[in-house]
Amino acid sequence: MARTKGYPAPLEEKLKDTRLYSDEENPQFTKTVEKISMTIPHMCYQCGTCTASCPSAPRSSYRIRKFVRRALLGLEMEALNDPDLWLCTTCYSCTDRCPRDIAPTDVIMAMRNLAFKRDIVPVNFLKTVTAIYSSGHGVPNNDVNRAAREKLGLPRDPPTTHGYPEFIKGIQYILDYYELKKNADRIIKEREG
Amino acid sequence: MHEYAFYLGCIAPNRYPGSESASYRTAEKLGIKLLDLKGASCCPAPGAFGSIDLNIWYAMAARNLVLAEQMKKDIALICNGCYKSIWEVNHKLKHNDELRDGVNEVLKGIDMEFKGTIDVFHLAELFYDPEICGVKKIRDSVTVPLTGTRIAVHYGCHLMKPKKERHFGTTEAPTWIEEMVAALGAEPVEYRNKMLCCGAGGGVRGYDIVHSLDITNEKMIALQEAKVDALTEVCPFCQLQFDRGQIEIQEKFGVTYNLPVLHYCELLGLAQGMSPQELALDLHGISCEPFLQKVL
Ligand code: SF4
Ligand code: SF4
Repeated sequence: MARTKGYPAPLEEKLKDTRLYSDEENPQFTKTVEKISMTIPHMCYQCGTCTASCPSAPRSSYRIRKFVRRALLGLEMEALNDPDLWLCTTCYSCTDRCPRDIAPTDVIMAMRNLAFKRDIVPVNFLKTVTAIYSSGHGVPNNDVNRAAREKLGLPRDPPTTHGYPEFIKGIQYILDYYELKKNADRIIKEREG
Repeated sequence: MHEYAFYLGCIAPNRYPGSESASYRTAEKLGIKLLDLKGASCCPAPGAFGSIDLNIWYAMAARNLVLAEQMKKDIALICNGCYKSIWEVNHKLKHNDELRDGVNEVLKGIDMEFKGTIDVFHLAELFYDPEICGVKKIRDSVTVPLTGTRIAVHYGCHLMKPKKERHFGTTEAPTWIEEMVAALGAEPVEYRNKMLCCGAGGGVRGYDIVHSLDITNEKMIALQEAKVDALTEVCPFCQLQFDRGQIEIQEKFGVTYNLPVLHYCELLGLAQGMSPQELALDLHGISCEPFLQKVL
């Protein structure tokens, strides 16, 4: 939806920007992304420094500059439905180099948060959640490692939630507060049966 | 003795316990005592949790922070991913009332409150800090100098980047970890793309393993060109990606490197006279033998 410039109608028609605005644009998306990310994609002048710094760009169609543009133009579904959204390693190279002081990495994180609200999320992200729900650890202990720890003179389980499982219920409380476990289980079931 | 609550994370205690062991012992020799942080959990993984819902990431990390606040101790940790969660959430909640109130609303349900009374450090930065330890003290603690070895440093991403929120200076060509490597008697070696990511972060390792390993392989090619005897890092997740990753690279791409990958604490442990057994180096995916033969 093009914003009007307040000119007389014929002039408005003649001078309206037909390239910049698209029917699919949702200006609210720009605002929401800026709120969650705490950065300023609307300041982007498309120099491409971010893409040039990006380890994922040379080996895929992922272009961080394009996502920043989508944030600016409010191209919500184009951004959220693009599978490349999940190829950012969050290395922050783009953020350290952006001449406009934007944090493109955090733009991606905000978009991923918004995608998750629509159930758009790769299953591996959810499996980390379910592992933490049951043990407190994303990468839990195992028997080979327990034996090795014992040999080192360390307790078989580290003094984390592994050694003190009574702390797990606090973690479950937080995850349940946000209904994250419920949603993760539901989405995993839908995808994997 | 400087005392810290030792935040362990997941990969060090559950995959590379030698790093955990080495941290306690090397730190103690350098005047730093690491205390158990009982009941800590995953930081939680900034890629997975941050991508799903930043608010949940803040609340989960805050629970770990409150455990240390209750001990009245600053946190020391040995993983860049943990640093991203624990340091950054601490920083954000200290400076953003709206976020802190949101988190405390949740923590209320488990009788906790984030107060913002402690600080968070990577053990490597404590080792480097002359007020706490410093390079000279590291050098003086060495009993088995790693003379004659060429060692490259992988800094990783989440310790120093984004640089304007952190306090480490340049993220283009830092050399402070190299100084700590030189203190062990080894020769620190520069290589192409030193600051390139290991490829594992942001959930990419789980989402597209081949894509992720291709980034790792780009670093491996540069390391091979630099003819190094070992790679050192300060992040068990980077370590996993380079160490176990080399096996995956072999399986998937048919390329072999056999480059030993050691956490800086393991390297320091060796230089302070710990044996490979005391460091559980046999748990590494890639054998450290060729490197050990040069130094022991
Ligand atoms: S580096 Fe910054 S200004 Fe340049 S294209 Fe990327 S986000 Fe835009
Ligand atoms: S943070 Fe993400 S988008 Fe930015 S350079 Fe790294 S991988 Fe690319």
